Amino acid sequence: MSGRGRRYFSPEIETMPRAEIKRVREERLLGDLLPWAYQRSALIREAWDAAGVTPDDVQSMDQFHERVPFIDKDAIRAFRDRHRDPYGGMLCLDPKMTEVFSAIFSTSGTTGDPTPAPYAGRGPSMLVREFWELGCRPGDFFTYCLFTFRGPGIHDTIRGIGATPLFVDHQPADVPQLVRFSRELRPTAWYNLSGPLVLAIEQYAAAEGTELGEAFSSYRGVTFAGEPIGPRTRRRIEGEWGLELFVHTGVGDVGAATECREHDGCHFWEDTCYLESLDPDGVEPVGDGERGELVSTTLLDKIAPLVRFRSDDLVRVTHEQCACGRTHGRVWPLGRKGDEVVVAGRSVLPGDLWAAIEAVPETGAGLFQVIRTRREVDRLRLRVGYATDSARGTADLRTRVTESVHEAVGIEPDVELVANEELLRQGPPHKIPRVARQ
Amino acid sequence: MVTFAKRYEDAPEIWGVGRLVVDAEVTPWPVAQRDIDDEADSLAPRLAALGLEPGGLVLVVAMLSQAVHAVPLERAAGKVGALYSSADATPFDAFRVAALTRQLEPQVVIGITGDVLDGLVGTGRDPADVLAAVPAVVTADDDAHARLRADGFSPRRWLKLGPTSAIEGLAEDGPVYDASRWRVEEDDGELVITNVVPRYTDADRLRTGVRGRVVEEGRVSVS
Repeated sequence: MSGRGRRYFSPEIETMPRAEIKRVREERLLGDLLPWAYQRSALIREAWDAAGVTPDDVQSMDQFHERVPFIDKDAIRAFRDRHRDPYGGMLCLDPKMTEVFSAIFSTSGTTGDPTPAPYAGRGPSMLVREFWELGCRPGDFFTYCLFTFRGPGIHDTIRGIGATPLFVDHQPADVPQLVRFSRELRPTAWYNLSGPLVLAIEQYAAAEGTELGEAFSSYRGVTFAGEPIGPRTRRRIEGEWGLELFVHTGVGDVGAATECREHDGCHFWEDTCYLESLDPDGVEPVGDGERGELVSTTLLDKIAPLVRFRSDDLVRVTHEQCACGRTHGRVWPLGRKGDEVVVAGRSVLPGDLWAAIEAVPETGAGLFQVIRTRREVDRLRLRVGYATDSARGTADLRTRVTESVHEAVGIEPDVELVANEELLRQGPPHKIPRVARQ
Repeated sequence: MVTFAKRYEDAPEIWGVGRLVVDAEVTPWPVAQRDIDDEADSLAPRLAALGLEPGGLVLVVAMLSQAVHAVPLERAAGKVGALYSSADATPFDAFRVAALTRQLEPQVVIGITGDVLDGLVGTGRDPADVLAAVPAVVTADDDAHARLRADGFSPRRWLKLGPTSAIEGLAEDGPVYDASRWRVEEDDGELVITNVVPRYTDADRLRTGVRGRVVEEGRVSVS
């Protein structure tokens, strides 16, 4: 970071004492957000009324933990279907208020219909802190590689740190322009890279003889998002391409979390959201750094506020101060609770298999799915993508993948091999469904 | 001229670097915030002419790399007093076009391409059913235009004329561009364009790749 000026974008917030973080949380949550959500969100009110709770009953964080009911995606979908409300009872304002809203965006829709989300944003988002940490500074170009349906927030945020966006589609077809713009305009940051895009870039580079280390030499930081990155892929990108990757993940639909240069967990911003990590099968909090289910509450979103939203995301969370000096919590995403299979009493998440599958050269892209008929199964069934242009063919590939997975998790899987392209067709541009339900 | 920001408090003069594509050749195209704002002012009457009303919604189907053309349309919706929503113009994201059309009931869907129609068909959806309730459907390529016509629709056209857009109204009398801001001429059967008001990047008889003719000042036909 030498020569790039100060370390933090908002030092007074990013390094605020823990006591101050708690004070801000209580002030925003108890004094403002909860009464607003209860009065205006039909779903929140319905859930609270069913639990016999009103905002008057929640005057402290202890009372919040004891009394406030959970909501989850099923509750939102059920409300949507029951009331024919596409917003699932979450909205606190009429979406036709054009003096408030400018647009209606939508979630990725990986698991079903996209959920519409009215947009009232004006200007940069909290991601200015992350983009600054990537090493981007005023006057730089910034590669904005995403989709249209996320809205103008990222664009406004890039400009919010004084940088200029270069628009690139998050599509294999646009890799030639990604490489060209990177060479010609020398951007310093890039949002976002994903597993499928890595594969497309490698295929392009192999076909064109592109030296990626040279083409991407101007970048100081690149976010990686969509799904986890395997250790082998990360080493390859950081070693051969020369990119420093910053894992970027959503946190319970109330915000995002991103690695800092310590690469020791993803920082979430506790002045914007309150995250709990609870027993995935219960309501008690798990210890710092232990595996739990992420339960999220917004502190800022007054449009469609989530309050104690059981996200189904399995995570580790710590509130220990990071070596970077930031005092906000860090999260490590582990997988989806609904994606877990229990094989002969042993829990397996897709993330547990990643390193083993990408360790085999032909399946090094890490494209695979767990075939899930129910949570508890007798056999671990995997559908694994492989590169069809491999000189070795598939003669012993199934055996090698099976042995690699067996060695990693102690379970011998049944492996079905399919071409990488077949799996890529199933996903949006930045990820594939990691669990195939049958 | 200040081109780049020196402090983060100062937004850079370049709003973003988009691109123009002519016969598959890509030209990076920087634009300023004032260009986007002016194009939005120019396009708002085009959306109104398609039937977009205050309180209504337009679904803009495009790619992020087409921001120079798509974002002015989105901003134009606000100038009409309407909302916008977005979907990618890809086969995969066709499911979003179907879902948002059903959920949000747009008055205008603009930017339908052959890829989007392929995506709808590929996921078992009939484009005629998906778009049946939309009062104004505007296509972004010839493939989609021909296929929707064959399905009994009366699609209008959205043409990318260099850095600006020409959009056909409900009368189906050819795409309309803003002659107070752009001069469009014919050159050996191809439309070329010149900006007549200031733009960050000047276009001087710039090839558009569109085969057609100028029917009258402000209106073209495509061949």
